[in-house]
Amino acid sequence: MNKRILKILIFALPLPVILASMFIGPSQTASPKALYNFIFSNSLSPELLQSVLFGVRLPRILLTFITGGTLAVSGCSIQAIFRNPLTDPYILGLSAGAAFGAALALAFFFIPVQLSAFLFGLLAVGSSYFMARKNKNVSIISLILSGIVVSGIFTALLTIVQYYTDPFKLQSIVHWTMGNLHNANWSKLQSSIVPVTIGITVLFFYRWRLNVLALGDDEARTAGINPDKDKLIILVAATLASSSVVAVAGVIGLYGLIVPHMVRMMFGPDNAQSIPLNFFFGGMFLLIIDNFSRTISGFELPIGAFTMLLGAPFFIFLLKKTNIGWDK
Amino acid sequence: MGQIDKAILVRNLSFAYKDTLILSKVNTDIEIGKLSFILGKNGSGKSTFLRIIAGLLPYHAGNVYILGKENSKLSVAERAKIIGFLNQQHKAVFPFTVEEVVLTGRAGYINFLPKEKDRRAAFIALEKVGITHLQKRIYTELSGGEQQLVMIARVLAQEPKILLLDEPTAHLDFINQAHLLTLLKKLTNEGLTIVSVLHDPNLAFLYGDDFLFIKDYQVIRAPNNTSSWSTEFLRTIYQNNIDAIPYNGRALLIPNMN
Repeated sequence: MNKRILKILIFALPLPVILASMFIGPSQTASPKALYNFIFSNSLSPELLQSVLFGVRLPRILLTFITGGTLAVSGCSIQAIFRNPLTDPYILGLSAGAAFGAALALAFFFIPVQLSAFLFGLLAVGSSYFMARKNKNVSIISLILSGIVVSGIFTALLTIVQYYTDPFKLQSIVHWTMGNLHNANWSKLQSSIVPVTIGITVLFFYRWRLNVLALGDDEARTAGINPDKDKLIILVAATLASSSVVAVAGVIGLYGLIVPHMVRMMFGPDNAQSIPLNFFFGGMFLLIIDNFSRTISGFELPIGAFTMLLGAPFFIFLLKKTNIGWDK
Repeated sequence: MGQIDKAILVRNLSFAYKDTLILSKVNTDIEIGKLSFILGKNGSGKSTFLRIIAGLLPYHAGNVYILGKENSKLSVAERAKIIGFLNQQHKAVFPFTVEEVVLTGRAGYINFLPKEKDRRAAFIALEKVGITHLQKRIYTELSGGEQQLVMIARVLAQEPKILLLDEPTAHLDFINQAHLLTLLKKLTNEGLTIVSVLHDPNLAFLYGDDFLFIKDYQVIRAPNNTSSWSTEFLRTIYQNNIDAIPYNGRALLIPNMN
């Protein structure tokens, strides 16, 4: 398909997809048929319809869209600055850290769940980065390895929290880690919107610089930009945005890895183009996946499991395809 | 103060990696508008010296003046407008097109997004190197020789006054080596100052205007009439016997291993 048409589609489709998603879900109150009845025969209580549509479904849809877009944009930026197509916030341990933070808060009520998830997510990414850093250099392989180690540590700590907590709290922890878009509401959306907006705006402005940074530190520095400073700004922005969506939406594994690759396959690696495309495509695609997970069976499937099952084979495929820089 | 009539002026420069001394009280200079080569044995500090001038390695003893300005006082963006640097080997990860790669050379002029004048500068750079036909090609799919030309175009898009190259011929076949050095010669004739590390003294004497040798932590300027006939001088640099074989009024240098 022509790239330009595809591009227009990606920017234009989210709105109809969002509107269509409003009428997908278990409640028969707001099915397409109900909408038809509402418009043409006025047989339904508008209050009920309104509460299903605007109280339950719309916040979930918007949260899903923003989560998908944010994870994709963060993944794309992180891949560019680390010159590493095999990384994303999840690989860097963000989700494991956030899950532990959430579990800690759910089990002991020290601080709000979202805040705790956010802080531990940030801590995990920071640890992975500094563990992998050697002589001001972060290699592809050591970053993945340190991400594994950091994820492992936080997963172990999560297990300990789960072991010591009572069954009721355990249930909410397990639900949280499976991805919990079904709990979406306006206040969750509200709590994440400010950090997400800040993070995404910064990444949007830095989108062309990602191309410069993707060529290497020496190449960036001698062409006139300070790679240390820029990479730190981008890493903090990406982590800020993605940890605040993970904090409300739960673990959505490998999503930030897959989407940037799909966008790159469609439009090439120019980040000046692909950052906005990642946001819209990433948002729309997660919404479509979520619609499937809501309707494929009688009860809802956890979306985190869905994206993980989709992402894992993709990661292996990339691993086989990517034969660059393992020695560096 | 540094002199403005020299491209690069080095005064009492010393440098060490942790415990390993690389350069000790180096004094030297590089002329404007010439093609200068830095030669010496492996590990003598050629790349280190070049990277110090490029602003990639901070130094703590001595001074390096770039067109009269102290190097360490230049900001990254200021330096990029004077000095362009080409690394020994470049590994790209993402399949950028050639024009996207060349455009990144404009980073020092661009706040957030490239403008029309940046795209024009990138295209002019492609023209100078003679690779406009590669513009839309994928960089990672090009041959080593073509990639090297793209990276030279990228540095030229930066519009530097001084161009530093670290062993630009290292991964090229011998025809491409000659192509590249001819291009460097042409660029100096158009007014650019070029300083390049080079392994092969044959190529250096064939194309160069000025020669600097690094030995025993020092940068030594070749005596005035040094040419490919000066085997005695080269023997002291490379610490090996070197034969000069006459060819068309010049000499070809071959290491004598007996």
